[in-house]
Amino acid sequence: MDSQIKKIHQQLVSKQITCTALVQEKLDLLKQNTYNSVNSLLDALALELAAKVDAKIANGEEIGLLEGIPFGIKDVYMLQGTYATASSELLKNYKSPYTATAIQKLLDAGAIPLVKENCDSFGHGSSSENTIFGAVKNAIDPTLVAGGSSGGSAVNVAKEYTVFSIGGDTGGSIRQPAGYNHIYGFKPTYGRISRYGLMAYASSTDCVGPLAKSIEDIRIVLNVMSGKDPKDQTSITSNEISEDAIATSSVKTIGYFKNFIESDAIDAQIKSDFLASIEKIKAKGIEVKELDFFKSDILVSTYYTLAMAETASNLSRLDGTNYGNRIEAENLIETYAVTRSENFSEETKRRIVGGNQVLSQGFSDEIYLKGLALRDQISENFSKDFQEVDIILSPVTPSTPPKIGDSLKDPLAMYLSDAYTVGFSLGQLPTLTVPQGTSTGLQITAAKNSDELVLKFANFLKDTI
Amino acid sequence: MSKTMTVDILSSIKGAQPSESVNQLFDVIKNAIPTNNNAANNVNRNCVSVNNLREDVVIESSAIEKQIILENFPNKKNGFLVVAKVIEG
Repeated sequence: MDSQIKKIHQQLVSKQITCTALVQEKLDLLKQNTYNSVNSLLDALALELAAKVDAKIANGEEIGLLEGIPFGIKDVYMLQGTYATASSELLKNYKSPYTATAIQKLLDAGAIPLVKENCDSFGHGSSSENTIFGAVKNAIDPTLVAGGSSGGSAVNVAKEYTVFSIGGDTGGSIRQPAGYNHIYGFKPTYGRISRYGLMAYASSTDCVGPLAKSIEDIRIVLNVMSGKDPKDQTSITSNEISEDAIATSSVKTIGYFKNFIESDAIDAQIKSDFLASIEKIKAKGIEVKELDFFKSDILVSTYYTLAMAETASNLSRLDGTNYGNRIEAENLIETYAVTRSENFSEETKRRIVGGNQVLSQGFSDEIYLKGLALRDQISENFSKDFQEVDIILSPVTPSTPPKIGDSLKDPLAMYLSDAYTVGFSLGQLPTLTVPQGTSTGLQITAAKNSDELVLKFANFLKDTI
Repeated sequence: MSKTMTVDILSSIKGAQPSESVNQLFDVIKNAIPTNNNAANNVNRNCVSVNNLREDVVIESSAIEKQIILENFPNKKNGFLVVAKVIEG
């Protein structure tokens, strides 16, 4: 699909549509939708901003490319004065006191926020069922899960309720729902986009990223949000990616992880579709190398060990003292315990407890520190691979989306379904899901800071398979 | 330290127990044999150099930010913010 942003921009500039009518149409669609993709609508704010854009156009003033473009925000971002619930009971009435840097940059560029989007509570999940707002339904088959944790964002983009949405990806939370709903979803290099104002899940892998229907829209939104931010000291300086720079691919060698494809866990159709895509790429004269990698269970266990440890620490502040749904008990310690017990979901509690287990005395050496050492090895493995190949191609998931209700019954199966996404999170690598190649898409990964190369190869793939 | 802190106390979650599913993940790590057991963090360097630290300045919150922080406070009485009961002993 071509750029929706450019198409709408043209329609606004040529006065084929008004921004107010566009925003109202999308708000109506969001309001009536039955996919549970909406936590709260930002209708008053959106219509006010739309009227300003219309006034500017009526006055003959020039508007920027993102000006008047309606977008969605996963409900883990701060946008001053709006609810930021993390789809949780604890924060269901919490209002953002300030605005996240990534979102502020979009506002500064004139984009119009329409909706805070449903997701797994605090990002804890791969199906968008761990939420107080009802399980998000898949855009293609509503009996299936939307994926997660950025499930609402993926569905809103797939159904064109939003032109693009901003998700968060810690272990696959943008890439997997993008794959499940047949759209593009990009997790940039860690640090490329500031995390300031994103509720922290696992700080060492948390990434802000766009979901959209075209590579060009991903590029436009990525450029606007990127950049070093004094409010997030892990953020990095990056160069703008131009449209010309990604128009033609210079990729000569790609690789894929043999053990991902030879695993017993992979769906037979996904496997054969993936291998068919590889053949099409070879036919274009690109060399394809089979690469060795860590076993899936090591990847998943390393990721969850570190992510749980980090989330146990990050969520320790949620005790009902200064904000959140405090439940009073006989003393302070009891108040903390009752507040957290009653307000966190089962999955969130499972992860907090797991995190405290691995951080506690006696276990940290045997599990947490070993997990850190494994992460180092995984990253070193990637560094070696990218001396051999320009791009690594993988399926997004081993299987097709499960039925709504199945994932919550079997947490281990849900964790293992992240097998193909978590490794790239641990490596902090730029990875894009494209809605091609298998029924849940393909992941394109490049070396750290080679985000441009990822988009370049995606353009090549669009015309190849 | 002889006193053992159980996960329910560490997590401030009543009756919390380690989960079987999560323990299975941890068992994989226990049985893994990393080539190097010391996490040197050679690859993912996200730390900030001393020269690059931001200025240590106090930034005044805006009036709207202050107002929302007050609105978010869980309990208010007669214009005062009420903290949870503290009974020691």
